[in-house]
Amino acid sequence: MADVKKHDTPMCDDLKKGPWPSFVDDIEQKGLKGKQSCLDLLGQLELSYVHKETHWKHGGIVGVFGYGGGVIGRYSDVPDKFPSIAHFHTMRVNQPASKFYSTAYLRKICEMWDHRGSGMTNLHGSTGDMILLGTSTDQLEPVFFDLTYQMGVDLGGSGSNLRTPSCCIGKARCEWSCLDTQAICYDLTQTYQDELHRPAFPYKFKFKVSGCPNDCVAAIARCDCSIIGTWRDDIRIDQEAVKAYMGGEIKPNGGAHADRDWGPFDIQKEVIDLCPTKCMWMEGDELKIDNRECTRCMHCINVMPEALRPGTDTGATILVGAKAPILDGAQLSTLAIPFIRMEPPYDEFKEFVDKIWDWWMEEGKNRERFGELIQRQSLQEFLRRAELKPIPQMVKEPRSNPYVFWREEEVEGGWKRDIKEFRARHAA
Amino acid sequence: MAVDIEELKQKILEFATKKAKFKSKMYIKDLYKADPNAKPREVKKAANQLVQEGKLEFFSSGSTTMYGVPGFGKSEKDQFGELEE
Repeated sequence: MADVKKHDTPMCDDLKKGPWPSFVDDIEQKGLKGKQSCLDLLGQLELSYVHKETHWKHGGIVGVFGYGGGVIGRYSDVPDKFPSIAHFHTMRVNQPASKFYSTAYLRKICEMWDHRGSGMTNLHGSTGDMILLGTSTDQLEPVFFDLTYQMGVDLGGSGSNLRTPSCCIGKARCEWSCLDTQAICYDLTQTYQDELHRPAFPYKFKFKVSGCPNDCVAAIARCDCSIIGTWRDDIRIDQEAVKAYMGGEIKPNGGAHADRDWGPFDIQKEVIDLCPTKCMWMEGDELKIDNRECTRCMHCINVMPEALRPGTDTGATILVGAKAPILDGAQLSTLAIPFIRMEPPYDEFKEFVDKIWDWWMEEGKNRERFGELIQRQSLQEFLRRAELKPIPQMVKEPRSNPYVFWREEEVEGGWKRDIKEFRARHAA
Repeated sequence: MAVDIEELKQKILEFATKKAKFKSKMYIKDLYKADPNAKPREVKKAANQLVQEGKLEFFSSGSTTMYGVPGFGKSEKDQFGELEE
């Protein structure tokens, strides 16, 4: 059914003129096919541009029974003008590991959302969930029922919960992956169902799993606990392939950057000189690597994927405390465990998680991310609570604080001592 | 020693109801004060059970979740009105 545009939206329309497809076009098309809420949404957006302030109320009590996450209440503060978006709640749907969907599933979920919601989706939210945008309170339980029983999927995390774990494509398609990222992601999702669906923490907590140090899910920058694949042995070298790259028989970077003529491939300039630890050199026509000095930056492997491959003694590096820049500025994660075997049932990793969660739940302030707790209480305290030994890789900069803070148990006799006995030896 | 969950639920409910008269939304950390001997995980478990029983309710901004006591503060209907049929 074709519909007529309900609101005059000159500023929104202006956004359609750019070189890229516009979200305004998409929403308008959906509205003109009969979704009143899409037309009202554009009307409210236009009003927000005029007033230079949002017309959404923030948050709400809504949810589905038994869950404390996955639904985010959204309400218009001008419902009289835009009645079809008076309630416009968001639902998050837990994505399959690595986001492998079947077209049948996508069709089914789109049909369901056309019927029960605005028909608008966001594939995907930053955390990875499929976001269903815009429905009313009375539709929440029916949507949840359909998702669960018709499609066999679950809601994702929101609020002060564990957020939906996410992972890169892993061994499914990438030969660099040192981890079965999908198995880890699925296992964490199942193990921590309670934390995912019911708020447990002072704020959000995210796990992300990358199969190799290229870190395609940007775990090191975005999540409270990054699991990044790595290897302990040597980079595998195929010297014949190295020669083929040098001779121009194989295109570097897998043929990427081929839109310009960069001249013949220069292994010295493009690989060896760019190694951050200078651990590579040529001996005659053979490439040599001092693997003890390699920091797993992946540059050489990315440039010459047929010649160089990660080692075979694989596991993960665990880092903690990254976050986006809301409170204290953007923060990259800090190394916690340089190497850990990530094999089912991942007990060693889960023991570590339990320890850091206990600390955060006890000491974290409201809306304080895990990385901010480390910043506030110190890396030293983090190491104590996580029962980890300090290692040189954790040092960020030379020490500037001259004081050493001893714990009572580290001092002979503790804080209590016989003052008379002390004064017998030392005058006041 | 683990606390008795029913006893803890009662303490949380009493604490939250008292506090709700002044502040209708509480963080989970506020509820820890209901029983300082209880571990955070126990408080979280008890609070979530109270939500399922309808004695507490969640309020989520999308990024943070808070707890409220039904009847205190504005209800969803008061705050956002009823949806037109």
